[in-house]
Amino acid sequence: MSLALSVGLLVAAGTFLLLQRGMIRIILGFVLLTHAVNLLIISAGGIARRDAPFIGGDTSMAADPLPQAFVLTAIVIAFAITVVMATLAVVSRGDDDDTESETQTDEDSDSVSKRGESA
Amino acid sequence: MTLSTLLFSTLALAGVTMLATRFLGRNAGWLAAVGLGSLAAIVGFRVPEILGDGNLSAIRETTPWMPTLDISLGLRLDGLSALFLIIVLGVGALVMAYSARYMSGRNVHPHTGYFAWMLLFAFAMTGLVLSDDLILLFVFWELTTLCSFFLINRSGDKASAPAVRTLLVTAMGGLSLLLAVVLIVVRTETTVISEALASDVWAEDAGFTAGISVLVAIAAMTKSAQFPFHMWLPDAMVAPTPVSAYLHAAAMVKAGIYLLLLFSPAMAETPFWQILLMSTGLFTAVMGAIFAMRRFDLKEIMAYSTVSQLGLIVALIGVGTPSALATATLYTLGHALFKASLFMVVGIIDRQAGTRDIRILQGLWKQMPVTFVTTLLAGLSMAGVFPFLGFISKEYLLGKILSTGDAAWVGAILVAIAVFASATTFAYTARILFGAFSNYRGSNREVEQDHDHSMNETVVEAKPSFYLSALIPALLGLILGPAIAVLHPLTGAAGSAAAASAYEASFKLFGGFTVELMLSLSIYALGILAVTQRRSLDTFFERRYLGFQAIDVVEAIRLGLIKVGTRFGDTTRTDRPLGHLAAPWVIVAVLTVVSLVTVSNLGNLVSTEQPWTDLIWLGLLAVTVIPAVFTKFRLVALILVGAAGFIVALWFFSLGAVDVGMTQLLVELLTVVALVLILRRLPKLFHTVSKTRQLLTGLIAISVGAVATLATFAFTGRREFSDVGQYFLDEAYIDTGGNNVVNTILVDYRALDTFGELTVIAVAGIVVIGILRSRKVLGEITPDISKWSNTALGRTVDNTLPVRMVAKWAAPLIILLSFHLFFRGHYEAGGGFIAALVGATGFGLAYLGATSDSKAPVRWPYRGLLASGVIVAVLSGVWGFAVGSFLKPVRFDIPLPWGGEYGFTSAMVFDLGVYLAVLAIIIAVLNELGGVRETEKEPRSFAGPVLVAKEFSAELESQSSKISASVGTKELHGSDDEPGLNVTSEGGNR
Repeated sequence: MSLALSVGLLVAAGTFLLLQRGMIRIILGFVLLTHAVNLLIISAGGIARRDAPFIGGDTSMAADPLPQAFVLTAIVIAFAITVVMATLAVVSRGDDDDTESETQTDEDSDSVSKRGESA
Repeated sequence: MTLSTLLFSTLALAGVTMLATRFLGRNAGWLAAVGLGSLAAIVGFRVPEILGDGNLSAIRETTPWMPTLDISLGLRLDGLSALFLIIVLGVGALVMAYSARYMSGRNVHPHTGYFAWMLLFAFAMTGLVLSDDLILLFVFWELTTLCSFFLINRSGDKASAPAVRTLLVTAMGGLSLLLAVVLIVVRTETTVISEALASDVWAEDAGFTAGISVLVAIAAMTKSAQFPFHMWLPDAMVAPTPVSAYLHAAAMVKAGIYLLLLFSPAMAETPFWQILLMSTGLFTAVMGAIFAMRRFDLKEIMAYSTVSQLGLIVALIGVGTPSALATATLYTLGHALFKASLFMVVGIIDRQAGTRDIRILQGLWKQMPVTFVTTLLAGLSMAGVFPFLGFISKEYLLGKILSTGDAAWVGAILVAIAVFASATTFAYTARILFGAFSNYRGSNREVEQDHDHSMNETVVEAKPSFYLSALIPALLGLILGPAIAVLHPLTGAAGSAAAASAYEASFKLFGGFTVELMLSLSIYALGILAVTQRRSLDTFFERRYLGFQAIDVVEAIRLGLIKVGTRFGDTTRTDRPLGHLAAPWVIVAVLTVVSLVTVSNLGNLVSTEQPWTDLIWLGLLAVTVIPAVFTKFRLVALILVGAAGFIVALWFFSLGAVDVGMTQLLVELLTVVALVLILRRLPKLFHTVSKTRQLLTGLIAISVGAVATLATFAFTGRREFSDVGQYFLDEAYIDTGGNNVVNTILVDYRALDTFGELTVIAVAGIVVIGILRSRKVLGEITPDISKWSNTALGRTVDNTLPVRMVAKWAAPLIILLSFHLFFRGHYEAGGGFIAALVGATGFGLAYLGATSDSKAPVRWPYRGLLASGVIVAVLSGVWGFAVGSFLKPVRFDIPLPWGGEYGFTSAMVFDLGVYLAVLAIIIAVLNELGGVRETEKEPRSFAGPVLVAKEFSAELESQSSKISASVGTKELHGSDDEPGLNVTSEGGNR
């Protein structure tokens, strides 16, 4: 049940962030969703047996290796997609990503200088 | 020489010629000509082998190709394929020799691509006519279409639209053929052409035969430019003349004819087939001939002439008797000879006179006598004048058409149409000769003429090396008329194969005073009449009657289709995530409701006990994820999400997924690093979200989360251990020699899957590089630290000292650890992914210790690394292919010098590919997002972290002295040598 709740929590948070405007929130939402899905795939193999699937010792309590292989692949692909999305966040201007509509406090405006204008 | 050797010789010739162009330029054409000519001769010498068994025997060869699908590389040389093969290779040789002079001699472009595509086309045609397998036939058919497309498309900017139109029309025919092929294979249960055509199905099921005949006819008609698909051929004339001579006159358009002849044994008796071919063929013949009378561009006249002549052949195939089919093959041969010659002549005129517009060309017969004679010879053969080869084929053609049908009047009407088309052929042949070579100009051509370009002032005859390739086929047309008996074995065998019954050819140059001779004479009479009346006829024909051409119709259809597609796509085209996510949500909602109502018995949980640690992971997730949703600070959100990722890694560890946990941990680390690099270009705070949106999306999120929880709880953990999982645990060691089951699945069992993933990584890396280099990237927002410039905070060199000291010792260790993890991956936790990620953290450390972006230490050529990752993986796959199948692991033990042995497997080479690609994408991201780019100018150093650490220590020594000297001065931060945090980086090119 803890695992199911974890999946639910990650999905809820991921969905919320994915539905906001602005690429960074969307990326973070995507990252959380991939965590949720990866946990779900692992749990599809069953969570009663929790030993690492190494051959050599007793494998009667070893976890199902196949979902693990799937998830391993999925993590790396998710990383690749995250990186591509991240680059998209910095190539457009005047949108939700590079504007703050919150009024900045004095301290903020003090510490944030102008954007780099170098070539 | 076996047939497959013959087939692949053409492919090898393409490769050799491509290389040769590097040294010989256009002269590589001679090499290709000799190659194709020899192959044609070899085919010629083998013709006697297939004359046995009443001209019906054939040479067959079968090589397994896709045995599980029962598709083989089945090749067959019978009379029909021999005749077409001789045309394809023979004309190919002539055109190649012609290209060696036609193509530009300035070796700015060595014409590598041109020769490659032309010879690839020769390969495709050879394969097409040799195929004895339906699938193979289709593959080669499409290959000819593609070659044609690329040959047209590569001839300049204006060629793009015609190339696409040509592709659309011919590819549509290809689809029609594919449908026919699939239906035939399903119905006759064989892919072997000779078996499929001999099936009883054709005779028993008239409906099936009629349906297939339409599909085959459409395919053939698109390829052979028959009405209403004729318009692509004149359109394709933007291609260079040798391309037109080879593809669009002698070879590719004959593929349609070949297809019709190939299917004749099954279809010839079908009335539907006969009516379809005869009506289309004769209509096209007349239409093409009339259009040829209306054009001014010699090449366009030739194109319509081809359309018209092919129409006659199609009609002849519709007659369907063995003698008619044999005549069709003879006509095809004759046409290939005179039309190839005529096209090459047009190219010569174009090159020597600077134009091919008959409104401009004048009196060339004096300046270019040989070219004139060549045109005359080829033209007379085309017009069917005694004693040329064209005369015999035309006379027999008329005879066969006359004998069509049970009632005499049917044949009479049909032959009248054919006579009209032939008389017009006679007339446009004269149009070509008068237009190009005499001083004759039509009555109002002067007015219409395009004054922008004119004929070269001095026109000289082409060199023999240029005109010879045009003269040879024209002479052959003259010689083969009286020497027609030479062709009897070949045409007899071709006719027999097309009719699938024994047939002996007995064409005669003079068969007495027959009806056919009378018809020929009437053609001459009409033709000569047309020539004498040419001034008024030209005025009549050259007038514009319709406001549009067929090509405009095609273009309108093409644009219309694109518009419809755009409209259709618009319905789902939106930038709003909500627009895309609505569909899956509705489906999930419906599924949830349905499940809640219908699913009653889920089965019992296998185990209800859960370790108390699970609650800790859940609790930790809650305290990281929930604030991550609500924080206004980008950096805080990122850190919290990163922390959540670490907790997920802990989850994985606790579930027994050690490799997954390690990967998750490392990937999370690098994701945070990459996103921090992004964040420094973005404002500190997220933009505000309205309360309504928060509420709405919050509600959706909570309900989706609840559904996910329910689904996970309901559908997992309720069955015993899976069979496949048990299989891996039991067999992995025996199958692969590895102990780490997850790793063996990745690199042994499901290596192709991992290969796909590896490619995704490489592509993602290229996409990142591409995006960042093609678009302006937001500049960095750097905190102003000038007020701390005198403190340690403002001095980057001091700041980074601890990290650099750590890196100095840690970097080599990380490298060692990375190698260790890589090599033990097959046996214990580790493997290519993890090893590369660990190695990458070493780079991360090096960056952290860098004093500025521009001093960021790693200058590895990451683009090359990305590619080499994929290449290494492919090579390991090929290694496996050599011993069985792609990516099959090859295993052997390597004795170790200190005793024992290391179990090596080629899966480790594959894993190395994974390692390289993963490492490369991380370096790419660090460099591209970090503002340091790999450029061609920068010296590439292969210094890894080990050397980096050395550089650091050297740099450290030199700088520490400088710093001590300049502490307390302001110059430090303003100087270029020491770019502090307040100096913007190169990456910010806003």
